[in-house]
Amino acid sequence: MGSFKLGGMTFGSLFKKPETVLYPFEQKPAPAGLKGHIENDASACILCGICAKSCPADAIAVEKKERTWAIDPFRCVQCGTCVRVCPKHCLTMDPAYTPIATAKSCRVVHVPDPKAAVTES
Amino acid sequence: MSKATVIPFGPQHPVLPEPLHLDLVVQDETVVDVLPQIGFVHRGLEKLVETRDYNQFIYIAERICGICAMGHSLGYAETVESLMGVEVPKRAEYLRVIWHELSRIHSHLLWLGLAADAFGFESMFMHCWRLRERVLDLFEKTTGGRVILSVVKVGGVVRDIDASQMAEIVSVLDGIKGEYTQIMNTLLTDTSVKNRTVGVGHITTEDAAALSMVGPFARASNLPYDVRSFGRGAYGDLADFAPITATEGDCYARVKVRCLEVLQSIEIIKELGAKIPAGDIEVAVKGAPADGAQASNVLEQPRGECYYYARGNGSKNLERMRMRTPTSQNLAGMTVALKGCDLADVNMIILTIDPCISCTER
Amino acid sequence: MTTFEQTFEELPLAGVHDLAAARHAEGWRYVQILAVNTEEGIDLVYSYMKDGHLANFNVSGVKQTDVVPSITDLYLEAFVCENEIHDLFDVAISDIAIDFGGMFYQLAEKAPMTVVSPEQLAAREKAKKIAAAKAAKEAKAAAPAEGPTGPTEEEIQAKIAGLDPEKAAKVRAAMEAKARKAAEGKGE
Repeated sequence: MGSFKLGGMTFGSLFKKPETVLYPFEQKPAPAGLKGHIENDASACILCGICAKSCPADAIAVEKKERTWAIDPFRCVQCGTCVRVCPKHCLTMDPAYTPIATAKSCRVVHVPDPKAAVTES
Repeated sequence: MSKATVIPFGPQHPVLPEPLHLDLVVQDETVVDVLPQIGFVHRGLEKLVETRDYNQFIYIAERICGICAMGHSLGYAETVESLMGVEVPKRAEYLRVIWHELSRIHSHLLWLGLAADAFGFESMFMHCWRLRERVLDLFEKTTGGRVILSVVKVGGVVRDIDASQMAEIVSVLDGIKGEYTQIMNTLLTDTSVKNRTVGVGHITTEDAAALSMVGPFARASNLPYDVRSFGRGAYGDLADFAPITATEGDCYARVKVRCLEVLQSIEIIKELGAKIPAGDIEVAVKGAPADGAQASNVLEQPRGECYYYARGNGSKNLERMRMRTPTSQNLAGMTVALKGCDLADVNMIILTIDPCISCTER
Repeated sequence: MTTFEQTFEELPLAGVHDLAAARHAEGWRYVQILAVNTEEGIDLVYSYMKDGHLANFNVSGVKQTDVVPSITDLYLEAFVCENEIHDLFDVAISDIAIDFGGMFYQLAEKAPMTVVSPEQLAAREKAKKIAAAKAAKEAKAAAPAEGPTGPTEEEIQAKIAGLDPEKAAKVRAAMEAKARKAAEGKGE
């Protein structure tokens, strides 16, 4: 019989831990810094729209009149440009991936008006 | 006098990673002529410079090809930096090269798996891709993405690799090296592998030079051309770098050259990881390229030399961005290699040029 | 280690084949051919490399009626780029060794890289207007200001240049309202 060259590796793999995980029962922990989805901290956002202008995928829509910041997570390519150009650093990249869905939808964040809060008090 | 039959190969074929069509003119199981045809993955990406400015286009350049993603973003960034006269900090150059060499390792491991699968050695395919998963995990830990890294920008890089991550990279690569050497020796000394690859698809050195072939495809025919030997960027700080060549000029030589390049890349990463200087990882880039300014650049991608060209028009959008990928250069070499081979060897020869058709067509 | 340097030179259309023959005789490698769509015609850039010197030769303003000689008789691998340029830019290249006759990419639209979409045309017009407005503004800079005046036409143009049409209309309306208000304020 010719030499079974991968024999050592094959035999050893009977006893070693498998390289794969039993997904979805076990999941690999997401490393920090994984590019999952974008979160906006509404208290810091000033609706300047710089993120919308610099997005290469046109995934962000900022409406100043309605005070909303919307992102289409299915258009987003998780490049991180918006996180870097935001002047108030209110955008962050969260490690969790957008869950799969049967229809595309936008996530809308309502940014409260700081001036309205001041006049109320 | 036997009749010639034309056998269509592709665009869908189990052995092809990307669609490529060949019309093989065959006489009694010997291929006498080949007509290649591409165009199945043409997306017209170069026209998108008109709607995306030079900062946004890097994300499109990355997505030209999944395997060469890091290479394209690096080549594009270097070209635009040359166009605008931007100098990137030394640490950023080192980081870019480390990621690029990791990308070379992952690309060659991918290719080795496909080459083994092409002649039926499926367990080798699984082992190579198993080792490749460890490299992809490294990418995930350091850049946040497995395949599309999005870590290079015009002016530097976006993330840093700190000392603990660097130590982890080195230890994972050392772990890969042990198992990989075993796999490599199996592949290069096995009799059935040799029967399928030795003497198949031979290209002489003169033909390789006449057809301006690039990459491991040319280096296997003893043509020592490697863009990394120009010593630009962090490659200039390597103690010594010599392109790996082989003299046989057949499929076996190409497999050998790529196998050895993985080991060479591991050594390069370890050397650069030890020498990396402290400093900034990016420099702010303001303004736009001047009207009429042009710049060209070459980069050694896993498949060979890739040429980039950029021209500015005064606005934030580039006038023209062009990438000429190594596979488009090697297509002529492939047609020459296929002439006179057996029909059963066609898969092997096509795979050994490492075709990346989605890069060729953009 | 050889060092890398790149050069750009101009080349007349008639010299394309002779240049290729000269380079081939001296042992230069063919690198690529590319085309750029400009207003004056198509620019072709031929690149050759030897020993780390990347020489780019620019042929400016190739018209649709011009016929470019192929270099595939010397460098066979150029057929990929020449077919591509013929398909995407509609440049006539004669005697390509492996000629697909326009069917290399089998595109839906003829010569797509020469198509300038209406948005880009508008953007280019606006860019030209800003440049003209800037020059005019610099010429007027010496004139004294007459109290608060609303935004002038040049300022409106400069501000709305580069915005999409709806937004441009909104900004223009707002600025014209401002101009009217300032004029009314002055009149009172």
